[in-house]
This record gives sequence, structure tokens and C-alpha cells, in this order.
Amino acid sequence: MLRAYFAKMTGTTKSPPRISAEEIIWSWIGGFVGIGMVAYLNYSRFEHTDLVMIVGSFGASAVLIYGAIKSPLAQPRNLLGGHIISAIIGVTSFLLFHDFMWFASAMAVATSIALMHATKTLHPPGGATALIAVIGGEKIHALGYLYAIIPVGVGATIMLAIALLINNIPKKRRYPEFWI
Amino acid sequence: MSEKERAFPLKAEISDEDIMEAMKDISGYLDITPGDFKEVYQTAYRHAMSRISSSVKAKNIMTTKVFSVKRATPVAAIAELMADNIISGVPVIEENGKVTGIISERDFLSGMGVKGAKTMMGIIADCLKNKGCMAISIGALKAEDIMTSPAITVSGNTTISEIAGIFGEKKINRVPVTDSAGNLIGIVSRADLLRYLPFKEKP
Repeated sequence: MLRAYFAKMTGTTKSPPRISAEEIIWSWIGGFVGIGMVAYLNYSRFEHTDLVMIVGSFGASAVLIYGAIKSPLAQPRNLLGGHIISAIIGVTSFLLFHDFMWFASAMAVATSIALMHATKTLHPPGGATALIAVIGGEKIHALGYLYAIIPVGVGATIMLAIALLINNIPKKRRYPEFWI
Repeated sequence: MSEKERAFPLKAEISDEDIMEAMKDISGYLDITPGDFKEVYQTAYRHAMSRISSSVKAKNIMTTKVFSVKRATPVAAIAELMADNIISGVPVIEENGKVTGIISERDFLSGMGVKGAKTMMGIIADCLKNKGCMAISIGALKAEDIMTSPAITVSGNTTISEIAGIFGEKKINRVPVTDSAGNLIGIVSRADLLRYLPFKEKP
């Protein structure tokens, strides 16, 4: 029995093939423009305000929506739903449990995973969005539930718009696979 | 292994290399491992098989021009009918059209009292050894004397997967198709079934 248990750790299949150079280049362009837009807004417009436009989890979203555009995890429903639901859960978790930061952190991420699954909006960066709401420092905490709209909702929407524009330029690429 | 499983290949033969090649052909990053893809493919294939085999029915594949005989038809006439039309079995019907039995080559062999393996070779061997054929001894018999009765029948809505199951279970090669009143409307043979198995090219 123990043998069968450890045998499972050997894997059963191979890594998928490498994508073409063209795909790699378009993934780079999407990532650059998408993050460029939210980062530019953040540093040029929001620099000296109480607001932010960029959060770390957008970097993870960029991998999916510009680099793995066929993935169910990268579709608009998942991108927007996953970020916004997780942001709300993250803020709630911080407000309720900020006296126990380890608990607030774990609660935020775990509940985000569960709720994203339940709503068919699983988007891995959502877990980071929830965690940032807890551990992101005073500027984030001060936003309260606004965090779910700015930066999370608006930023994700800008990145989605860039994904729609850039991913559909090459003949062989198309995005999204589905909306709802 | 049941007859059904033999009639429908359980697994689509697809290799890991086929999948890797297909994934390379499709541009862009596919968020699935070749192993998972194979599992999805083979599960989908099984679903397709059962969908197809449960959507094709007896009425879709049966031969409607059926040769049949009456209870009183002499066996010599039956043998001639089967020989002339190259068929290996005929239903026996009552005067009112209802199927009462079926006669196959095997029933002829049984009727002749062939012992041991009931095959054509058994008959030939017997003829050669006994200076004369046993077949002559059944010359005076009629259909009702040698038929298998009651006949196993199916309805027009019986699916081909069910028919494949019946063939295997009852060890028969043809089954008369009857309407709700029991009247003969067609016959499905193993050959009919093979011709309509999914993904087989029609001859």
C-alpha cells in the first residue's frame, strides 16, 4: 500500500510541447502592454493619492490571459469573477480577523479558492488578490471594500481589454474561448 | 468478455505521440497534460460509442424482404429456399403472420440426428461412412418438426447494442423483428449488425 502511495509521485505523463516562437512573442507583447497600462496609470495618476491601480496578483493574471489564453482559468469570467470575489473575501477576512493575521491570511485564500470553485470562476491570481487584501499594508487596508473596485475590478477590466485587443491580432490566436 | 464489448472497441487507439503531435499542431499553449487529454478523449469515445449504439435500432438496419416458411412447409423446400437465396436461417410463421419459430442450419443438423459436433463436416463424414445420407431420413419432415420454438424476437425499437447482447447471450446469428402484434416485419442478422457498427465503413 505504501509502495502504491509513493509510486503515485513518479508521474504518469510528459510535459506538454513548447509553443512556437510566434506565440512566445505575442505572449510577451500582451504581457508588456497589459501590465504597462495598469502600471502607467498607477505611477502617473495615482502616485500621490491614497489610491493604487496595480496589485501584485496582476502579474500572475498576465501569465494566464496573455500566455495561456486557451486555458479555462484565463477566460474573462474567471479573470473578473476570480479577482473581484477574492478581493471581497480578502477585505472581509481582514476586517473580521485582523487581530490574528495568520488566521486572516489563511481564511482569505482558502475561502477564495472555495468560492471561486463554487462560482466557476477559478483564477489562481485571485488567491493572491485575497492575500494582498490582508497582508498588503496600510494603504490597501485603508481602501476597505473599495479595494474590490479600484484597483482590483478596474485593473482587471483594463487588462481584459488589452487581452481582447492584442490576443486577436495574430491569425492563429483568438480570445476568449467563452464569456459566461 | 461479452459480445457487446467485442462488437465495439472499448478504447480508441491513440498513442501519447499522437497527442503530442496534435498539441504541437494546435497553436498556443494548451493548459492540459497529454495524459489528461488521453483520459478525456477515451472517456468521450466511450460515451460516443454508447450513444451511437443506443440510437441505432433494429428498424433502421433490418432486412425487410424476409423469406419465411409455414409450419407445414416440407424441409426439402426449406433447404432449397435457403440454398437458392444463400441464407442461413428462416422464420416460421403461422397462417395469421405471427412468428412461431425459426429454422437455422443448426436445426437441420439436429433434425438429422447428427451426433457430436453439429457441423456440415459431421454430415459429410456421416454420408461417406454410412453409404447414404442421413439427410434422406428427414425428407418427410415439415418445418414444425425441426424448428426452434418459440423464436427469440425483437421489436423495431430494440437498439443494436441490445441485439449484439442477445446474439452473444443466446448464441444465435439472426433474430426476427416483429411489430407489437407479433407479426414479422424484418430480420436482423450478424451481417446487418456488423455493417452498422459505429465507425465502420459501409461496404
